[in-house]
Amino acid sequence: MGRRFVISRGVAWLMLACVAASACAGTRPHYGGTLRIETQGDPWQMPDGIARRLVLDTLTTVGDTGGARPALAMRWESQNADHRWEFWIRPGVHFQDGEALSADAVAAALTDTCSHTGAGCPWSAVHGVGPSVVFTSDSPAPDLPELLAQTQFGIGRQDASGAVVGTGPFRVTGFANGALTLVANDDCWAGRPFADAVEVRTRRTIRDQWLDLSVGKTDIVEVPPELLRQAQQQHLNALVSRPVDLLALTISPSGAFVSREMRQAAALAVDRTALYNVIFQKQGEVTASLLPQGLSGYSFLFLSDRDLDRARALRGGANASLTMLGADDAGATMQLAAARLALNLHEAGFNVQVTQAGSRQPPTLALRRVHLEAASPRPALDEMLARFGQNGTVNGTDAAVLWQAERGVLDNEAIVPLLWLPRAWAAGERVRDLRLSVDGEPLLADASLEGAK
Amino acid sequence: MMSAGYNPPQRMIYKRSFWPVVVALMLVLPAAHAANWEQPAGDLAKQIAALTGPGSVKLTIRNESSLASGEIPGIRKLLERDLRGFGVVAGGSDSATLIRVTLSENLQGGLWVAEVVEGTETRVTMLPVSLGATVTATGGPSLTLRRTLLMTEPDPVLDAQMFSIGGVQRLVVLEPERIVSYVRNAAVLAPAGTASGNWIEDQHFAIAHTRPFPRDLRGELVAAQDHLFDAYLPGALCSGTTTGVQITVACADSDDPWPIGASQRAFYNAMRDSFTGVLAPGFGMELPPFYQASDIPRPTGTGMLMNGVDGRVMLIENNVLKPVNGGNDWGSDFAVIRSECGSGVQVLVSGSGAAAMGDSLSAYEIAGREAIVVSAPLTVEGAVTAIHAANDGASATVIVRRDAPARYEVWNGSAFCN
Repeated sequence: MGRRFVISRGVAWLMLACVAASACAGTRPHYGGTLRIETQGDPWQMPDGIARRLVLDTLTTVGDTGGARPALAMRWESQNADHRWEFWIRPGVHFQDGEALSADAVAAALTDTCSHTGAGCPWSAVHGVGPSVVFTSDSPAPDLPELLAQTQFGIGRQDASGAVVGTGPFRVTGFANGALTLVANDDCWAGRPFADAVEVRTRRTIRDQWLDLSVGKTDIVEVPPELLRQAQQQHLNALVSRPVDLLALTISPSGAFVSREMRQAAALAVDRTALYNVIFQKQGEVTASLLPQGLSGYSFLFLSDRDLDRARALRGGANASLTMLGADDAGATMQLAAARLALNLHEAGFNVQVTQAGSRQPPTLALRRVHLEAASPRPALDEMLARFGQNGTVNGTDAAVLWQAERGVLDNEAIVPLLWLPRAWAAGERVRDLRLSVDGEPLLADASLEGAK
Repeated sequence: MMSAGYNPPQRMIYKRSFWPVVVALMLVLPAAHAANWEQPAGDLAKQIAALTGPGSVKLTIRNESSLASGEIPGIRKLLERDLRGFGVVAGGSDSATLIRVTLSENLQGGLWVAEVVEGTETRVTMLPVSLGATVTATGGPSLTLRRTLLMTEPDPVLDAQMFSIGGVQRLVVLEPERIVSYVRNAAVLAPAGTASGNWIEDQHFAIAHTRPFPRDLRGELVAAQDHLFDAYLPGALCSGTTTGVQITVACADSDDPWPIGASQRAFYNAMRDSFTGVLAPGFGMELPPFYQASDIPRPTGTGMLMNGVDGRVMLIENNVLKPVNGGNDWGSDFAVIRSECGSGVQVLVSGSGAAAMGDSLSAYEIAGREAIVVSAPLTVEGAVTAIHAANDGASATVIVRRDAPARYEVWNGSAFCN
């Protein structure tokens, strides 16, 4: 896989994302109607649950160019060399049950989030002070405004009935027969959404989703990247994001891979081209970087070529003890990709066996699909490091510093980036002005329905 | 809606000072663009020389950015020249030092990456580079539409109008949360497409409102008779007055109807993106909700052109509501402007969004009950989000939303005879 090829795919995807996201509306959106969407997964899961984003707002959002923009916080200020941050809460905002949003409520919600995620939060303490929320941290947190835009930091609370309410454009009204129903929040601080309601049908296979779209039973469906060509052949109106999901192999430094040389051998043995061409049908971009090319501009510096001879040489005559490789979801595509990687590693002399998803023992080799929400280089690198369990924040903002920091992490060969993949959705004919967020999720509050009044 | 012909002296001042700038800009742009790479080439050469030291090197350049391939030889020449200045001579094909320059880009702009390869060691240096922007225009059959970029803003823009205050020309821009006054920066001839061009922010005022604005927010700046302007927003009204050359703005919650013509006002639905259909004083008839309305000169006097929420274009003439045929391709926004072509009155209309990509502007004339297109569509890269007649009555402010990255462009659109 040549470096030029990698870049040209990256640029092409960026362009496609721009085209897909471009609105061509000369007529204004109509109000009313119910927007119906189907998903394979749980609409409330983090970080990409559709319903979660409709109900909960964050203190900030991420703009197209990656910087943080005001949302529930109107402005913010860094103090004490980024060890202390103050965010001023937007006045006049109410939760969907009518209770006013306060700095204390924001602090309580974020504290609750930190205690539940288990992964910890990028601050030591958070508390409300009058109209503002103050974050303090032991180490500098220069990207806190961008990090607070992540879905996991959505602001919500439980109402009297125990249901989660937020300040977002829709509120949950029920779940029945596999469908979650949400209705428009007329008093939403960002303006009432155009649709009166959203119905999310969950746990639908892609085949069923596409069938429902074809007969007009739903409005928006998922299009996995490996099925994008098929979607185009079927003339589905697909919106494609820029690359937002990293497919990566993580190697636990244990057993046969305790030494860096063995991990490097494994990294050199993987055939990204085959994954890209065959399994993911030439969608996304081949990568050896934690950031997509369109975001960093330097990902081509991380070589992604397969070098089986060098892999064998590095492995030498090491003992070929059995190593398990597992994928982080049971989907057929990920299982296929895991099997392909096991074959690659076998060719280099490793004895690798694919485990079924959900096995109790964490495998030494794990094929993971990691979602990226940030859209500017340093917060994105910080986010990816956190998602891969790496501690620390990157100091400095220029591209060379980020590249050095990333190289420092990848040199350990514990994370082997493979492909950056886009997200895609197909919309029915009556959906108007549907756009994707910077991380590839449909912005349902801004979409409207043709013919609604 | 602006009242046609209001404040004609402003138009004269505007035209006199504006067009020479545009012409000068068009003349200067190509040269300025070619010169854009002087600075980055020099900076990168310096960074490379710091890694290599003086000597002979082999230099390769590849373009992985949106730069046109025709730009590359020029960049290479500049780089070679600047490297020579540091004692680094490119051209030695058998040199032990290879400099691999990649003209890359990321979301923030260009990124030039140089890899210095010496034996098994590779050192890297990078340089962020601004890539700039271009402007295009097209012509039409009986008249030509022309649009001129006034400024580009990262935040949403609802309307923008030119005012003259104490002999100083100001561009007042209505944003969702603030009103901003800009003055010309005559010292800077910035390329069109860069942030705010040759306007610099002079004053800004927060728009106070207690009720949330609708998601599809609309607003309008209207020149006032006894003060400078009124800014109408759903549920809020701001008044701009002048003290000397300074502007003062006061905002308050308000459900007052918005002016849509010389003698009519219309109530705006504060929760939606349209007028309710209720007018004051009204025409004695029930009207459906509409997006926009404007006075339009008719042979029998003044009519009112309306664009309904249901997509129908209507004309109220002699207190009779008539449908207008030929408006199927109209978008939701239009402005009535005067020109010296055709009937002298044209309707500048956005596209309906039927095109797969982008938007357009077209000029129509209303003959009887027919909307007749009188210009070729002027392609707009992005989506037209608002069209408002300008204070001069002869042109319109056109707001365009562009994506990736999201930004708002303020254009001045007008019609010229072929």
